[in-house]
Order: sequence, then C-alpha cells, then structure tokens
Amino acid sequence: MIVVDSITKTFSISRQQRREMGPEFKGSRIDAVREISFTCSPGRIFTLLGPNGAGKTTMLRMIATMLKPTGGSITVAGFDVVKQPVEVRKRIGFLTGNTGLYDRLTPDEMIKYYADLYGMDAQTYGRRREEIYGLLGIHEFAGRRIGKLSSGMKQKVSLARTIIHNPEVVVFDEPTAALDVVTSRAIIHLIKRCREENKTVIFSTHRMGEVSLLSDDLAIIHRGTLIFNGTYKDFEGQMQTRSVEDEFVRLVEAA
Amino acid sequence: MKTFVTIFRKEFTDTIRDRRTLFMMIVFPLLLVPALMIIVTNIQMSSMKKAEEKVLRVALVARANAPGLVAALTGRPDLRIIDGIPADSMEAMIARDSIDAAVVIAPDFDAAVAHMTRGTIRLFFKSSDDFDMVKRRLSGVIGTYEKQLVAERFATLKMDPAIVNPVTIEEHDVASMKERIGKSVGGMVPYLFVIFCFMGAMYPAIDLAAGEKERGTMETLLTAPVSRFQILLGKFAVVVLTGLMSAVVSIFGILFGMRQITKIPPEVMNAVLAILDVQTVLLVLSLLFPLTVFFAAFLLSMSVYAKSYKEAQSMISPLMIVVILPVMIGLFPGVALDPVTALVPVLNVSLATKEIIAGTIKTGLLLEVYASLLVLAGLSLFGCARWFEREETIFRGV
Repeated sequence: MIVVDSITKTFSISRQQRREMGPEFKGSRIDAVREISFTCSPGRIFTLLGPNGAGKTTMLRMIATMLKPTGGSITVAGFDVVKQPVEVRKRIGFLTGNTGLYDRLTPDEMIKYYADLYGMDAQTYGRRREEIYGLLGIHEFAGRRIGKLSSGMKQKVSLARTIIHNPEVVVFDEPTAALDVVTSRAIIHLIKRCREENKTVIFSTHRMGEVSLLSDDLAIIHRGTLIFNGTYKDFEGQMQTRSVEDEFVRLVEAA
Repeated sequence: MKTFVTIFRKEFTDTIRDRRTLFMMIVFPLLLVPALMIIVTNIQMSSMKKAEEKVLRVALVARANAPGLVAALTGRPDLRIIDGIPADSMEAMIARDSIDAAVVIAPDFDAAVAHMTRGTIRLFFKSSDDFDMVKRRLSGVIGTYEKQLVAERFATLKMDPAIVNPVTIEEHDVASMKERIGKSVGGMVPYLFVIFCFMGAMYPAIDLAAGEKERGTMETLLTAPVSRFQILLGKFAVVVLTGLMSAVVSIFGILFGMRQITKIPPEVMNAVLAILDVQTVLLVLSLLFPLTVFFAAFLLSMSVYAKSYKEAQSMISPLMIVVILPVMIGLFPGVALDPVTALVPVLNVSLATKEIIAGTIKTGLLLEVYASLLVLAGLSLFGCARWFEREETIFRGV
C-alpha cells in the first residue's frame, strides 16, 4: 500500500532556469507538487494522469525515494520514504519509459546485478529468474549484449529487472512512452498480472486508452495539485463529455 | 562490503567493455606511446645523421686573403666550395637554400694573423635548418685551423701552451648516473604518467556518472536498496583503478619504447633500467594513488553535475591543461621540491617523482607530499559524496 499525505515538493530555481522561464517568473523556488494526498491499495491499479510538467514524475520519484518531500509524508508498505528509504526500496520496483539499461552487459548480467543489489539468495534468484524469463521469453537472448537487442527485447529486460525481487509495490512512470503496440501490450499484460498477484501498482501515462483499460483508481494532477482523486468508476460517473480524453482536457482547462 | 563488491564488479565489467576507455587506458599508453617514441626518435636520429653527412655547399669570398684557411676548407669530401658568388647575394641564396653557408674572409686576415693579432672571418648561415649543424660543422673546421695557428704561434714564441692555461680543473662529479638521468629526464616520467592517469580516469568517470544519467540507468539504480554513498564508492573505485592502470601501463609503455630504441647508448639504457627498481616504482606508485583518488573524486563530481556525456566531456576536457601546467612547471630548471611546492597538487607529485628517480628524495618532504595529497584526496572524496547526495545535482537535466 502507498499512502501519500499532504505532500509538497519545492525545487530551488537556478539563475539560468529563471532566465529560461521568462521575465514573468518571480522568486527563487517553485512548487512542483502541492498538498497532494491519495492512497494506492494492494490488488488495484492506481493511475496518475496529467499533462507534461504537471508533477507526475516528481510524485513517483518521491514514492520511489529518489527525491525527498519538502512537506507531508509518504509511506510505502508501511515504511516512511524519508526515515526508512532502504526498506522502501527493498519493496518497490520502478520502471520508466526510458528503458535504462546497460548496453555493454547481457540481460543475465543486468538482472543478476539488480538481484544482488536486492540481496536475493542464489536459490530464490534462480527460481524467480526461470519464472520471469519464461513469462517474458528472455531465454533466447539472455546472453547477448543489451546494446544489440531490439527495443522490444530491451523493454522485456527492463520489466524483468523491475520485478526480479518480487516487489510488493510497482511504480511505472510512463512505461509505454515511445514504444510500439506489441511491446506496450506486453507491459500492459504485466501490469495486469501485478494486480492479480495483489501487488500495489501505480502508473502514470499519457495514453487514454491505457487509462480506461487498466485503472481501478485515478488521480489527475495539474500544475502540482490534484484536480481529481477517486475510483475510475467515479470518474466515469461524473464525466460531462463523451470520452476519457475529452473529460481529461475539460478538467485540466477548468482548473 | 558485499554491496560495494557487487557495484564495483558491475561497473568494472561495464567499463572494460567500453572500447573508448580500453583504448585510452591500455592501447594508447602501451602501444601508441612507444610507437610515437620510436618514430620520433628515429626521425630525429635520421635527420641528425643526414645533417651530419650532408655535403655542405659553401660560398667562399675573398679566398686570396687567407690561403691557409682556404686550404683547410677545400679538398674536404664533406664540403663543396663555390666561388664567384657576389657578396650582396649570399644572404638571399642561403635563405632560399641555394647554398648552405658563406665564408667571407676580411682583406687584412693574413696580415693580422702574421702580426699575431686577430683575423676576422664572417660566417653566414641559417640556424633554423638541420639542428644548426651547418654552423657547428664549419666552426669545427675553422676551429681546427685556429688551433693549428695557435700551435704555430707558441712554436714561434718558443712558449709552452700551458702558459695560457694556468689553472687545471680536475672535475669529480659526485652525482651518480642515476642522479644525473633522474634530474634531467626524471621530470618526463611524471609528465607522462600524470597525464595518462588523468586520461585513464576521465572516460570511465564521464561514462559512470553523466553517461548513466543520459542512459536513464541512474534513475533505476537510485531505486535499489543501497545508499548513494555505496553507489558512489563502487563507481569511484573503478575510476581510481582505471586511472592507476593507465598510469602504470604508461610507465611500461615508456620502458618498452626505450628498449625498442636501439640507438640509446647502453650506459644510459642501463642507468634508466637501474632507475626503475622495485623500490622506486613502489614509491612512485604510492604517490600516484592519492593523486588518482583526487582526480577520480574531482572528475566524478564534474560528471555527476553534467546533464549528458557530451556536456561532461566539454566540461572536463579543458581541465587537462590545468593538470599539465603544474607538471610542466615541474620541468623548469630551478623549480625544486621544498616545503611550499610539496603542498601544490600535481606539481608536488611531479617534483617528488623526479627526486625519487634521482634517489635524492628527503623523507620529510616526501611525508609532506603524502600528507598534502591524502588531505586533498579525502576532501575531494568527501565533497564528491556530498555532491552525489544533492538532488539538484543528481537530477540536473534528468
């Protein structure tokens, strides 16, 4: 479970960034996320939706302990992200749209590296490896250098790396961005499987089709604040337009 | 410790599979340095030999003024005397390489010599060509003629030549061959290994921090249940190791190159080999270690700050000059290891290495160099660790 309570994240702005933001921007700090609260429950998929620069990635990075919140608190599987970051990291898997792999390693070496970092013993690793390799079909290219693999194969390695330690919580930050339909489908399949395994899943996306396909719960974030937080059914129930996409645009423009 | 080993092993495997790093770390210092040494030395030696053996075309003006000197100059197989060149066109002809030199004998030369005063010869040449060999060779010929005249004068005056040399200097150089070579060429050794140490550490540092940010692997690595300091330490150890390896390989490269240069006199070669005994090499390496730690921490800090591989490269490459400068200062005559220079990073390593090779290092100063380097290495590592913890740094541009 993820419990986000009144989270705020403020970034300092450098002189160069201030120049880039134009003369209308005053001040030396900017709130990327303001007073956001939500809960992600096990066995449910929580979708974080928002336009570019809304604060989705900042939010997910705080959940994954990469960034420290300026105010409020986040607990992941019962552990505080600021006070017990290592405990949190043991229990989460994190996947971004950018595959983030080492081109000069093989999938075997890459996945074993993360298994070692997660402190997995040889037996558990071996069992889990077989299970995931079979599920994703990695065996045939497990010994080839990642740099030589197709983008689809790379994404499979990324997925394997994300779930090798069987995390309770899985964070997907725009996992299908810039991927082809076939590879995106494999990811969607995995997200659903995580739900079936009673994991807590939070993912951000731009693809409205994925929202309706996957979401159990939904939050819409715009300019660092929540403009909707509820179940997907609630969202559908209050829609004033025909499609999810139109409703999303309506809410963002109204905010 | 287990986490450190895991990160180190992965980073090292990743690094040595990078062709660019491998080239800068192993191939360049081990093969290219000796190859360059051999090529440059051979070209230099062959040019020198050519200049020594070349038949010089010498214009001789007013030959009637000094028949004795003319006799000394003519009839030599290495000189071709050319007559009839007007005095006003000699300089232009030398400038455009139509002739190599011109000897103009003053009208009163023979009379002056006969009256036991000084006769004047004007020698025209171009010092920028052939290692100034034209002047040296002609001065040698004229010098031999002069010695002959001096001997004749002593004979005429019935004097012992020793009368003009009232003092005999018996030279006893207490500097050993090791010390002489150490002080003269010892400065070149740190010049090469400090540069290679920096270059060897540079590419892995860029790849393991800025490269990792660019590829998006840093973000996922930060979600692993390890501290940022552990991640940094694993990367840092690889950068130190590659820097050290590159420096050590460069020393072997120099040695290998010297062995291939057959024209080095055997006594010099033996002295060079004697310089590189186990104790000297270990002492030099002990200096190199804290220096590499400093380089690694500094390079990683810059690399972590950079948004991309390219930005890191453009930030770090100019620093090479900053590194080379103190090493070059160490090559200047008169710059020696003292309590002040022992505190200046890089310069202290350069000067201390020179003293170690020459066998004249003073323990107190060596300890001061160690202390200075260790403090610097510690501070830079501490700074790098703090830098790596900063969100503004690590997520800059991510």
